[in-house]
Amino acid sequence: MTNQRLVILLLLIAYIFSPTLFTWIINPEGAWYRPYIMWVLVIIIAFVIQLRKKPSISRRHLHD
Amino acid sequence: MTFELSHVALLGISYLLLLFGIAWITERGWIPDSVTSHPITYILSLGIFASAWAFYGVIDLAFSYGYGALAYYLGTGALFLFAPVALAPLAELARRHQVHSLADLLVFRYHSHAVGALTTLCMLLGILPLMALQIQAIADTMHILTVSGNPSLPLQGTGLTFKDLMALCYCAILALFTILFGSNREQHRGLVTAMAFESLLKVCALCAVGLVAVYGIFDGLGGLDEWLADHPENIALLHTPIRDGSAHTLLLVFIATAVTMPHIFHLGLAENPLMRNSHTVTWAFPLFLLLMALPVFPILWAGFELAVPLPAQYFTLGVPILLNSPGLTVLAFLGGLSAATGAMIIITLALATMVMNHWLLPSFRLRARHDIYRQLLWLRRMLIAAIFLGGYLFYWILDNRYSLTNLALLAFIETLQFLPGTFAIMFWTKGNRRGMLAGLAAGTLIWAAGLLVPVLWRLETLTLPFIDVVIPVGIERWSDVTLLSLGVNTLTFIIISLVTRQTEDELYSADLCAADELSHPVRQALDVHSALEFKTRLAKPLGKVTASREVDIALAELNLSINERRPYALRRLRDQIEGNLSSLMGIHVASEIMDTHLPYQVAEARDTVDINLMESRLSEYRDHLTGMAAELNNLRLYHRKTLEELPMAVCSLGRDMEILMWNRAMAELTETPGEEVTGSRLDDIAEPWRSLLIEFSNSSEAHYYRREIELNGRPHWVSLHKAAIEGTINVGVYDQVILLEDVTETQLLEQELVHSERLASVGRLAAGVAHEIGNPITGIACLAQNLRYESENPDILETADQILSQTDRVSRIVQSLVGFSHTGHNKKSDFQAVILRDCANEAIQLLSLQKDKNQVLFINNIAPKAIVAGDTQRIIQVFINLLSNARDASPEQGQVILDSSEDEYSIIFSVTDEGPGIAPEHVEQIFEPFFTTKEPGEGTGLGLAMVYSIIDDHGGYLDITSPADTVHNRGARFTIKLPRHIDSVL
Repeated sequence: MTNQRLVILLLLIAYIFSPTLFTWIINPEGAWYRPYIMWVLVIIIAFVIQLRKKPSISRRHLHD
Repeated sequence: MTFELSHVALLGISYLLLLFGIAWITERGWIPDSVTSHPITYILSLGIFASAWAFYGVIDLAFSYGYGALAYYLGTGALFLFAPVALAPLAELARRHQVHSLADLLVFRYHSHAVGALTTLCMLLGILPLMALQIQAIADTMHILTVSGNPSLPLQGTGLTFKDLMALCYCAILALFTILFGSNREQHRGLVTAMAFESLLKVCALCAVGLVAVYGIFDGLGGLDEWLADHPENIALLHTPIRDGSAHTLLLVFIATAVTMPHIFHLGLAENPLMRNSHTVTWAFPLFLLLMALPVFPILWAGFELAVPLPAQYFTLGVPILLNSPGLTVLAFLGGLSAATGAMIIITLALATMVMNHWLLPSFRLRARHDIYRQLLWLRRMLIAAIFLGGYLFYWILDNRYSLTNLALLAFIETLQFLPGTFAIMFWTKGNRRGMLAGLAAGTLIWAAGLLVPVLWRLETLTLPFIDVVIPVGIERWSDVTLLSLGVNTLTFIIISLVTRQTEDELYSADLCAADELSHPVRQALDVHSALEFKTRLAKPLGKVTASREVDIALAELNLSINERRPYALRRLRDQIEGNLSSLMGIHVASEIMDTHLPYQVAEARDTVDINLMESRLSEYRDHLTGMAAELNNLRLYHRKTLEELPMAVCSLGRDMEILMWNRAMAELTETPGEEVTGSRLDDIAEPWRSLLIEFSNSSEAHYYRREIELNGRPHWVSLHKAAIEGTINVGVYDQVILLEDVTETQLLEQELVHSERLASVGRLAAGVAHEIGNPITGIACLAQNLRYESENPDILETADQILSQTDRVSRIVQSLVGFSHTGHNKKSDFQAVILRDCANEAIQLLSLQKDKNQVLFINNIAPKAIVAGDTQRIIQVFINLLSNARDASPEQGQVILDSSEDEYSIIFSVTDEGPGIAPEHVEQIFEPFFTTKEPGEGTGLGLAMVYSIIDDHGGYLDITSPADTVHNRGARFTIKLPRHIDSVL
C-alpha cells in the first residue's frame, strides 16, 4: 500500500530472474545446500526490514 | 543396542513430568516474565508445527521427493515471512472477536452454525490421521529401542501387539496430563512455555543428529561432498522428483498448514500476541524452520552410508543407534517423543474446543445453571479423552500399514480443503455460506472417496455407481486427489457463491473481516440502560452467579463501574462480554445468547457511525497505521485538537442525543469533564444544561440568544447556536453540532450601560426643569431689588437682602444643575487662582445662615497658601455641598474639620465629620445622581454627584474614607486632590 511502484518493480525483477535463480539453485553441479543459502538470505532480508521498521513506529509515538 | 522397557517407560514418563512441570512452575510464576513473554518463547512455541512427522517422516519425504520435501517448510515459512500481510489480519480478527479456532473464524465470517459443524467434522476426519501419525511414531520408536536388538520394524497387520499396548499406555498418560493441566483455559502461559521447551528440545536433538551425521560419518562438509561425488545417484535423487510435477503439488499441500491446521491456529493465531505486535516472527520462524530442515538430507545420506535396516522415516533414530551412541539415541528418541507429544496436546485441546463449541453446546443446553464453568470444564475433559481415544483407534485400525508420509499427506490434503473458505475471509466478500458448505463438502467427499476410505478399507480401485467406471484410488494417487478435490472445492465455492444470495448479516460480517478494522463501526442502539441490567438479563441463560461474574470480569477489563449508564460504554461492555463468552463456549453460542437477551435494536442499525468507538480504536491502533492512513490519522488528530482547544464551548450530538464530543471549553463552562459525558445521552448530564440542551436540540431554531440559567445561585446568560452534520454513511441523516457562548459579562455590562443611560436622561430632564425655574427666580430677584428701594425699614431691607442672596444661591444651583448636564464644557484656560481657604470660609458663612439645621462647629484648617486652579464659584459649590452633607450627618455641636496638605503639583484638602459614616455598600453609589440616604424631600441626591462632576472637570480626584475615626468607628472623610495653580507658586 505504501509504495505500489516498488512492489511492481520487485515483481518484475523476480519474474525476470526467477528461472535463472531456480536453475542455479537446483543445479546438480553445485553444493547440495544451495537452497538453504537462499533461505538464509531471505531470513537476513526479513530481519533487516524488521530492524528498519522499529524506529518509524517510535517516531510516530512522539507525534501523537 | 537395546534399552530395557522400564528404561524407555521411565524416559517417557520423566519427559512428560518435565514438560508439565515446566508448565506448572510457569503458572506459579517461578520462571521470570522476561523468559515466558520473550518473543523467542513464542516463536519456539510455534514450533509445535513440526510434529513427529517433521522429526521422522520428512526424511522419508526427502527420500521420495528430493528437494520437494523442502516444500513442507517453504509453504509455512513463506506464510510467516509475509505474516504482516497474510497472518496478522487474521490474528487481529481472532483477537478482536475472541476467535479461538478456524471453525470459530469461519462461523464468524459466514454467520452460520452449519459451517461450524461441518468444519468441525472435516477437521476431525482430517486430523485423526495426524494423531495416528504421532502415535505410530511413538509406538514404532519405542519398539525400535526396546524389542529389536537389530533395529527393525515388526511385520505390519499383526493385530494388537506389544508396541500397540505401549502406545496405548503412553496415550493414556498423555491424555491424563492434558486433562489435568490443559483443559483449563487460564493456564495458557504455562502451555506456551512448555511447548517452547518441547520445540527447543526437538530442534536441538535433530541438529545434534544432523551434526553427528555430517562430522561423525562423513568427516565434515568436505567429506560429504566427496561422498556425494562418489554416489551421484543421491544427487540425482535430489533433483529428479522436482521435474515430475508431484513436488509442486507438495508445495500446494503444505502452503495452507499455518492457517488451517488446528494446533498451529491455536498457538499461532488465536493466542499469540507476537503475531500482532512484532515483525520478529517474519524472520525468526523461518529461521527455526531452517534449523529443522538443515539436518534432513545429511541424516538421509548418513542412513544410506550406514545401511540402517529401517525405513527412511526412522533414520533420525537409526543413525545414532548404528553409531552405538546411547546418549545421542536417547536424545533423538526424546526429540521425537517431544515433537509427537507437543503436537498431540495442542491438537487435542484445539479439537476439543471445536467439538464442544460447534457440536455439543449448540445442540443441548447446559443443565444446572449455577455452575456453568464446572460443567464446561468436565465436558472439555471428556472430549479430550475421547479425542485421544479416537486418535488411538484410528492408529490401531490402520495397523502400521502406511508410512508416516502417507498419514501426513492424508491429513494435510483434508485441511487443504479449508483454503478457499479461509482465503475468502479476507479477500473475497462475495463468498457466502452456501458456497462454503458446498465447496467444503465436495472437496471432503472427493478426499474421503479417494484417500480416506481406500486407506481404511484397503481399496485399490473405486467403481463409480451406475456408470461402471473403475478409477484407481488410494494413497498412491494422492497428487491427483489433491488437485481434483481442491479444484472441485474451489469451483463449487465460487459458482455457488456467485449464484446464491448472501444474507444481510453475512454481508456485514464479510465486510468486517475483509476490510481493515475501522471500516464499519456502526453505532447500534441497545435497549439496556445500565450495567446492572446486563446481570439480570444474562441471568436467564447463564444463571445468576455466572452472569454476575461474567459482567464483573468484563467491567474490570474495560475499567468501567457497575453504575455505568453511557450507551457507548454499554455497547463496549456488551462486546466484551460476548468476546469472553465466546472464548468460554464458542462464538456461535455466545452470539446467540447475546442476540436473544441483549439484542441491538435493528431499527437503528447502520444509521450512525460509532464515532467514539472509532476514536478509541484509532488511538489504540495508531501504531499500526502506516502511509496514508497514518497521515490521515495525524490530520484527524490535528482537527480534533483544534476543536478540543477551541476557546468556545462545543459539543456534538448523535441523532439519538448521544454526546459524541465535548470540548475543553465546554467542560469548563459546564464543570463536567468530557470523559464523563462523552458517549452518554443528553438525559444523563446535570441540570440546568440537560433541559437547556435538550430543548435547544429539539427546537427548529438555529440560535437561542441569551438564555438565562442559574449556575451556583447566580444568573448566567448563554447564547446557543447549532448546525447539522450530515452522517458519513447515510445521506439525509443528521447529527448536530452545538456551540455555547457564555455572554454573562456582556449582559452585565449592557445592563450597566442602560442604567447610566437612564440616569443621563433624567439628568437632562432635571437640567431642563432647572432652566425653567431660572426665569421665575430672576423675577423674584428683581422684586427683591425693588423692595430695597421702596422701604426704609431695616428689617424689610435685611429681608430683601436675604431674599436676594437666597435667589442668587438658587440661580447658582440652577446654573450648576445646567452645568452638571453639560459637564466638560468649562475650559481649563478660564481657570483662575482659587484660594481654597476663602472658598471654604464663604461656604461656612453661607451655611451658618441656615438656622433651622444642626448647629455644628466648622474648623477651617486649610492653609492660606493652598491655591488651586479653578472656577471659584464651582469650588465654593463643592464646599457647600461637602460641608452641608457633613453638617447634616454630624450630631448637634459636632465638629467638621477642614484640613489641607500639598505636594509639588497638587493641593489635597479634606472634610471630616463626626457623623455615623457611610455604609460600605453605599460608598460605590453615593456619587450617582439622585442617590440619597436622606428623607424624601430633604435631599435631591445631586450634591455629591455635582461635587464629583466639578472635581472631575478640574482634573482632580476624590476619595472617601469611612469610618474616618477608627477608634470610635465613626465619621467620614472626603479627600480631594486638585492641581495647584502654578503661577501663584512662583
